[in-house]
Amino acid sequence: MKAGSYVMGIDVGSSVTKGVLLLDGQILSNFMLPTGTDLDATAGECVRRLLSDRGLTQKDILYTVSTGYGRTQVKEADRTITEITCHGRGAKALVPRAELVIDIGGQDSKVIRLDEDGMVADFVMNDKCAAGTGRFLEVMAERLGMSLLDFGRMWKTARKPASISSTCTVFAESEVISLLSRGIAPDEIIRGLCDAVADRLLGMVHRVGLVPDVVMTGGVSKNEGVRLSLEKKLSLKVVVPDASQFAGAYGAAIIGHELAMRN
Amino acid sequence: MTPGTFDTGKSHRKIAGETRRIKVIRTLTRKSWVHSAAKLVISHMERRGGTPYQIDAIRSFADDFKHAYLKEKPCIYTSAFVPNELIYGLGGVPFLPEAASGFAASFGFARESLAACESLWYSPDLCSFHRAGVGASVLELAPRPAAVVVSSHLCDGGKRSLYQISRYHDCPFYILDVPYTNSVQSLDRLAKQIGKVARGLEHEVPGLSKAHMDEAIANSNAARSHYLRLCNLRANIPSPWRGREALSYVVLFLWSWGSPWLTKFYQALANHAADVIQSGEYPVRNERFRLAWSNLKPYYSPRLFDYLEDECEVSIAFEEFSYMYWDPLDARDPYVSLAKKIMSNPGWGPIERRLEVVNRIIREFSIDGVVQFAQWGCRQYNGATSVLSDYLRKKGIPFLNLDGDGVDARNSGEAQSLTRLGAFLELMESRDIRNSR
Ligand SMILES: Nc1ncnc2c1ncn2[C@@H]1O[C@H](COP(=O)(O)OP(=O)(O)OP(=O)(O)O)[C@@H](O)[C@H]1O
Ligand code: SF4
Ligand SMILES: [Mg+2]
Repeated sequence: MKAGSYVMGIDVGSSVTKGVLLLDGQILSNFMLPTGTDLDATAGECVRRLLSDRGLTQKDILYTVSTGYGRTQVKEADRTITEITCHGRGAKALVPRAELVIDIGGQDSKVIRLDEDGMVADFVMNDKCAAGTGRFLEVMAERLGMSLLDFGRMWKTARKPASISSTCTVFAESEVISLLSRGIAPDEIIRGLCDAVADRLLGMVHRVGLVPDVVMTGGVSKNEGVRLSLEKKLSLKVVVPDASQFAGAYGAAIIGHELAMRN
Repeated sequence: MTPGTFDTGKSHRKIAGETRRIKVIRTLTRKSWVHSAAKLVISHMERRGGTPYQIDAIRSFADDFKHAYLKEKPCIYTSAFVPNELIYGLGGVPFLPEAASGFAASFGFARESLAACESLWYSPDLCSFHRAGVGASVLELAPRPAAVVVSSHLCDGGKRSLYQISRYHDCPFYILDVPYTNSVQSLDRLAKQIGKVARGLEHEVPGLSKAHMDEAIANSNAARSHYLRLCNLRANIPSPWRGREALSYVVLFLWSWGSPWLTKFYQALANHAADVIQSGEYPVRNERFRLAWSNLKPYYSPRLFDYLEDECEVSIAFEEFSYMYWDPLDARDPYVSLAKKIMSNPGWGPIERRLEVVNRIIREFSIDGVVQFAQWGCRQYNGATSVLSDYLRKKGIPFLNLDGDGVDARNSGEAQSLTRLGAFLELMESRDIRNSR
């Protein structure tokens, strides 16, 4: 048994599984891998990697909290908590002044308003359709023959956004093809796509109420184009912490740490 | 009384959803031996010590269905908020296609009914309670109507889709045009319309006569007093009855006022609730939170309720739909009484009336949070979400708008619904922990 209290947070998202290991409440390491089809096996692999990197075994772990779409599939978990609560907690820990959290993952987007204590005060989630989420942007990037990493650079060179009316993956794909065939520059299309995603989020943000300190989490927060569109439409700065994609797993681990200390 | 002359009746088009099992059920429902067998099964259940209120509910529907399918009494289709005392009082049996959609979904026939309706060009954004109702009717899973009576208040899709059904089956159609504002004049106008509809039905549908009106009104009042007793018992902490069941039996609340069976049902149910309280055998023993539930629920899957009630130990203590909103009816003046009943529906008129009921439910049933099941395509309830959410936010009551569909499983994702419910409970829990500090 190693000294100190080790706690894990595992976020089995619809696209990516993320894990965070804490030692006495501080981040020790993290790891992520594609979720794939076998959620059980993926979560197990994530746990194994977190442990082996630090020469630990499952016995050294005081508490594990799982979250995300596959949260109930994590055998090692002592408790499951929804990704809404976990992203709220993780974002607050990463950016202490956070008041509003926008999490965009592979197939869901969530907007979470926090209260003074950093607890979830209200939240909304996209409807069943995965329009305007990470998967949507991946399909569009593929169609344009670009990398998602180019979105920020292209956004900045675009003179104006192309008009994209749909965030439905199927319709937007044909819109993109028709824009390309009309000779519209790819950077303008990219900016148009980012604007379409931001427009969809705007409605959700105003449902819970816009408050100034906005933090983005989830993998799509790494998409600079989306962040820029969002900042423009909200007329305020959106903070993206380095570990933004790990916010859910980090939040899960923080809650795990608290529960372990309480027990 | 039938507006328009354009023939929208049976189309030459082949209807989707005509599967083998639909044909079998259609045939069976029209066989008298099936209804006799159902009666035997119910008696057997009773002898084997089945739960009395459940048996009474089954009996209530078995009785109405037998009369309707075997054409022993005229079957009158009504929309959800028509006071069915009128139909029982005329010696008919009501049939509510919207409520029957819940049955169709519970028994797994919603798919065929929805397909049938959509093949007739109904838009998929029409509330699925209507779509499945229309589908069940054109597939003749439902009994044939002798007439259709709708009211104009609350639900807009109801009157339109039922009008189409009346054309399809070529039967008389009546609409009660409910005035929006409550005044002596509007009440008088509505009471006169009800009288006119009653006379029209008597005249146009053989076998109807208002000879049974006194009895129907007496039944309704008797059921009402048992119902009020049940409501009092449901205020008990912990809750003596499961919310998932309450949301299923809402069908009776919409359907059976005026039927003798409803009196028996509510009496048995109130006795059951009293027994539960006495014995302490509560369905959710360590009740963590008490929710108020607005609108209906998914009828095709119990998953949300397994999660809420069994895994999370959260009760649905009361439903907005179940709130008793009318005064006892007066048999000396039945049409005025029924007009008053219609006009006092809190979902009609200014939104403040609905908020007032929500507020009373919160107080009377010690509610910790409110969930609105946002039925896909429901303008009536979803249209007021921002008002309701602002109202509850100001009162400091957590509110969740849970998108879903009661009948059409294609319109929502169970995993997402569970995440939202879960996050909502976590939110309530964190507030609770803080408040107790
Ligand atoms: N650097 C990046 N730039 C742009 N997009 C990125 C980047 N990294 C990840 N993404 C996108 O983020 C998404 C995955 O994010 P995340 O891990 O938050 O999703 P998830 O938790 O699996 O999904 P969900 O929360 O919807 O269940 C993918 O769609 C991916 O394309
Ligand atoms: S859910 Fe709404 S649209 Fe559907 S039947 Fe009820 S009131 Fe009408
Ligand atoms: Mg996620």
